[in-house]
Amino acid sequence: MNLERLLVTLIFVIIIPFLGIFLGLLYKGFDRKITAMMQSRIGPPWRQPFRDIRKLFMKETIIPEGAVPWVFNGAPLIALAASLIALLYLPLGPFEPVMEGFGDLILILYLLAIPAVAMAMGGLASGSPYATVGSQRELVLMMSYELPLAIAAVTIAWRFETFSLGTIASTPVWNLVGPVGALGLVFIAVALFTVLPGELSRVPFDQAEAETELAGGLFVEYSGRNLGVFYLAEAVKLVVVGTLMIALFFPHNLSSWVSFGGPEIYGFVILELMADIAFFLLKLLVIIFIAVSVVRVALARFQIDKASYFYWVPMTLLGLLGTVLVVMDGAII
Amino acid sequence: MIEMSEEDTTYQVPIGPIHPALKEPFMINFKLDGETIVDADPHPGMNHRGIEFMGMHRNPLKVIPLSERICGICSIVHQHMYTTAVEHAAGIEPTNRARYIRTIMCELERVHSHVLWAGVAAHEIGFDTHLHFTWKIREKVMDLLEYISGNRVNYSMWTVGGVRRDIPESMHPKIEETLTYYEELYQKLEDIFLGDPSIRLRTKNIGILTKKEALELCGVGPTVRASGVKKDVRIDQPYAAYGDLDLDYVIPSRYGYENTGDVFSKTLVRLKEVVQSIGLIRQCVDQMPDEDIDSEPKKAVLLNKLKKAEGEGIGRIEAPRGEAIHYARLKEGVEELDCWKIRASTYNNLTTYAPMFMGEQIADIPIIAACIDPCIGCMDRAEIVDVSTGKSKSYSHDELHKLSVEKTKKLLEGSL
Amino acid sequence: MPTSTVFTLIKQLLTRKATNPFPVKYTPKNMHAAAELIESGKLEINPPVEIPPDYRGKLKYDVDCCIGCKLCLKVCPSEALAFKPEEKKVKHYVARCTFCGQCANICPKSCFELTEEFLIAGTDKYADELVLNP
Repeated sequence: MNLERLLVTLIFVIIIPFLGIFLGLLYKGFDRKITAMMQSRIGPPWRQPFRDIRKLFMKETIIPEGAVPWVFNGAPLIALAASLIALLYLPLGPFEPVMEGFGDLILILYLLAIPAVAMAMGGLASGSPYATVGSQRELVLMMSYELPLAIAAVTIAWRFETFSLGTIASTPVWNLVGPVGALGLVFIAVALFTVLPGELSRVPFDQAEAETELAGGLFVEYSGRNLGVFYLAEAVKLVVVGTLMIALFFPHNLSSWVSFGGPEIYGFVILELMADIAFFLLKLLVIIFIAVSVVRVALARFQIDKASYFYWVPMTLLGLLGTVLVVMDGAII
Repeated sequence: MIEMSEEDTTYQVPIGPIHPALKEPFMINFKLDGETIVDADPHPGMNHRGIEFMGMHRNPLKVIPLSERICGICSIVHQHMYTTAVEHAAGIEPTNRARYIRTIMCELERVHSHVLWAGVAAHEIGFDTHLHFTWKIREKVMDLLEYISGNRVNYSMWTVGGVRRDIPESMHPKIEETLTYYEELYQKLEDIFLGDPSIRLRTKNIGILTKKEALELCGVGPTVRASGVKKDVRIDQPYAAYGDLDLDYVIPSRYGYENTGDVFSKTLVRLKEVVQSIGLIRQCVDQMPDEDIDSEPKKAVLLNKLKKAEGEGIGRIEAPRGEAIHYARLKEGVEELDCWKIRASTYNNLTTYAPMFMGEQIADIPIIAACIDPCIGCMDRAEIVDVSTGKSKSYSHDELHKLSVEKTKKLLEGSL
Repeated sequence: MPTSTVFTLIKQLLTRKATNPFPVKYTPKNMHAAAELIESGKLEINPPVEIPPDYRGKLKYDVDCCIGCKLCLKVCPSEALAFKPEEKKVKHYVARCTFCGQCANICPKSCFELTEEFLIAGTDKYADELVLNP
C-alpha cells in the first residue's frame, strides 16, 4: 500500500463517522417528519434529532445503584463504535468501501449484531426488571432476524462467488441472473426489507423498547450522555442497514446510465460524482421511507413470540425459496 | 427489585404507580415466568384526592362543578349521578325536556368516550396511527359538546332540577351533521379495529373473561357485556329519558360474533355502542317535548329548598364504562351535604383483572389493563392510613366483613 | 400489510394536517420583539380556533348594578369571589375561576356575564387584568 492511499484512507476514516452521524440524524428527522405527516400531524421539524442530541449531551448522566457501571457506561460506546466501523466497510454511493480488502460481508453481519448485543448488555447491567425483560427480548429478536439476513447475504455472495462488498456493489446483482433468478432475488429482497425494522427496533419489532409495555425496555435506566450515544448509534445504524440494502440490491449509479461530462479530479468526473451522491441519498431515503416509516405507521407491535415466528418461519422460508430459485437459475445458465 | 427465589423461576415486575401502560396512577404487581404472567395483584389507592370530603363541606350547588371534575372523560356521568342523587334526596323532579337533554348529552359523551378508548387501545398495542386517527375524529363530537354547552371538557350543564343550557331547534342541524359524520366514518372504524390483521392478532383470544367469571366478579358495562352478560342500567332501571327510547343490550352474539369476552369482543361492544348512541340521540332529538329546561329557575329559592330538605338519594347510571352510583344524604337545616359517596364502574371492573391477566404475556399487559377502560380518578375513593404511623394498609375480606357486620349492628341499635 | 391503511396513510401524507397550528411556527427568540412585529403587521400569525356561540370565557362584572346580596358567593364552587364589606361589592379572581357561570345564573340583577375572551394566561395571578374590581 502506498503512502497516498494510506493518507486518503486515514482522512476518510476520520470524515466518515461524522458524515454517518450527520446523515443518520438527518434521516431520523425525515423519518419522524414523514411519519407525523402520514398520521395527519404536523410533526417535529427535520432538525429535531440534532436538538435532541444536543440536549441529551447537556443532561446529567445517572447511573442506577443496582447497575454494573463499566458495562452500563461501556455498552453505548460499543454500540456506536460498531455501527461506525460497519460504515467503513460499506460502499457509500459511488465510492468503494474505505477499508476495501480488509473485511467483507461476513464482517458486516457481525458488526451489525454488535450494537444489539451491546444494548442487551447495557440493559442487563442496569439492574431494572424492565430492562432485563427488554434485553431478553432484544436477544430473542436478534436471533430471529439473523436467519433471513444471513440467507440473503449468503445467496448474493454465492451468485458473485465472493464476499467482498466492493465487488458485489460494482455490478447490480439483477444483471447476473435470468427471470427465474430475478424472482428469487425479489423474494430475498422482501425478506431483507422485513429485517430492517427488526434491526432498527422500530414498530412492529420494537418489543425491546415497547414504550407501553416496558416503559422504554432496555433504555429505561439510561439518561443523559449514555442515552445520547445510544441515540447516535441507532441513527448510524439506520444509515448502515440502508446502505447495506443498497449495496446488495440497488447499487445502480446514475453515471452508468447518463453521461454528464465536465472536469475531472483524481479520475472522478465532478458532475457525475455529485449526481451519484444525490442518487445514493435519494435511494437511502426511499428505502427508509418504505422499510421504516410506512411499516412503522401501518402495523401494530407484535408479541415477541409472534415476531420470532414471523422471522423464523415465513421470512426464512421466503428467503430459502429465493435462494433455491437463484441456484436453479444458475444451473439453467 | 428482582426477587428471585431458589425453587421457582418466577420474578416480580411492578407495573405502576407511574407507567406508560396506565394512564393514571395505579399499580399492579405481576409475577412472571419468563414472558408469561402467573399472578396479578392490583393495588389501587395511588390517586386519592379526597373529593367526597371536599363535597361534604360545600352546599349542593357548589358540588355540581366539583362532581364533574372527578373524571375528565365521564364528567357528564358524575354530574348526572350527583344531581339525580340530590334530586332524589330532596324530592325535586327534573322537567321532561331536561331529561331528554340529559340523555342527549350522556349519549354524546358515550360516543366521545368510546372513540377515545379505541384510540388508547390502539396506542397500547403500539399502533399510534390509529390513535391519531380516532382522536382526530373524536374532535367532531368534542366540538359538538362545546357548541351545546360552551365548554370542551367540564360542561357545567347540569343543575338540581334540570339543565342550565337548552338545545333549541337551531342546534339540530349541527347535531345531525355530527351524527351523519360518525355514521359515515363508522364503517372505517370497524374495518380498522375488527378487520385489521395486526390488530386482530393482538386482540383475538387475549384477556378472556368467561360469562361465569363475569357474573361471579360482578363486573359492569362493556367489560361483561362482551362476555354475553345482559347488564345495562339504561334498560334494567331506566333513568332520564331512556324509558321512552328504543334500545337493546349490546352483546357480541347480536351481531353474529361469539360472546368470548376477549379484548376483541370488548372492542366490538364499544364500537357497536357508538352506533347505538347515534340512534338514541336521533330518537331524543325527534321526541323532545316542548317545556322548560329547569323546574326551579330561581337558584336562591332552590338553595333554600335544599337546605330544608331531609333525606337520602341515589343516582345510578350506565356510564360509558359501566354502572356507577352516587349516594347523597341531606340533613334539614344544614346547608352542606351530609354525606356523599361515589362508586365508579372501574371499582367493580378491577376484580375482573385477575382472570384476564392469568396466563397471558407481558406484551398483553397494556391492552388488557386498558380493555376495562380503567378510570382511576373516578375509582380511587379511599385509602386507609394509620395517622399515628403514617403507614397505609389494606383490609382483607374477612376483616372488612367483620367491620361491616359491626356497623350494621350499630345501625340497627341506632347508635350511629 | 393492510393495503387500505397504507392507502389512507399516503393520502394523509399529501392532504392538510389535522393539527391546529401554533400562532407562529416556532417559538420566537424574543417574545416582545415578535409581539411588536405582529402589531405592526410585519408578522402574520395563525388565528386562534373558532369559538362556539355561547362560549364560557372570562367573566364581565358590572360593579354599578351589584347590590351586594352575596348570592354569587354561595354558588361559586372554586371560591373565586370575595366580598368587600366596605364597598358592598365583590372582587373576582379570574385565575381561580372555573367558568361554570353559576354566579351569572343566580345573580338577581344579572351583573355577571360570560364573555368570549379566553386569552387570559399570565404570569401573575394578582395582575390587574386577572382581578375584577380589585
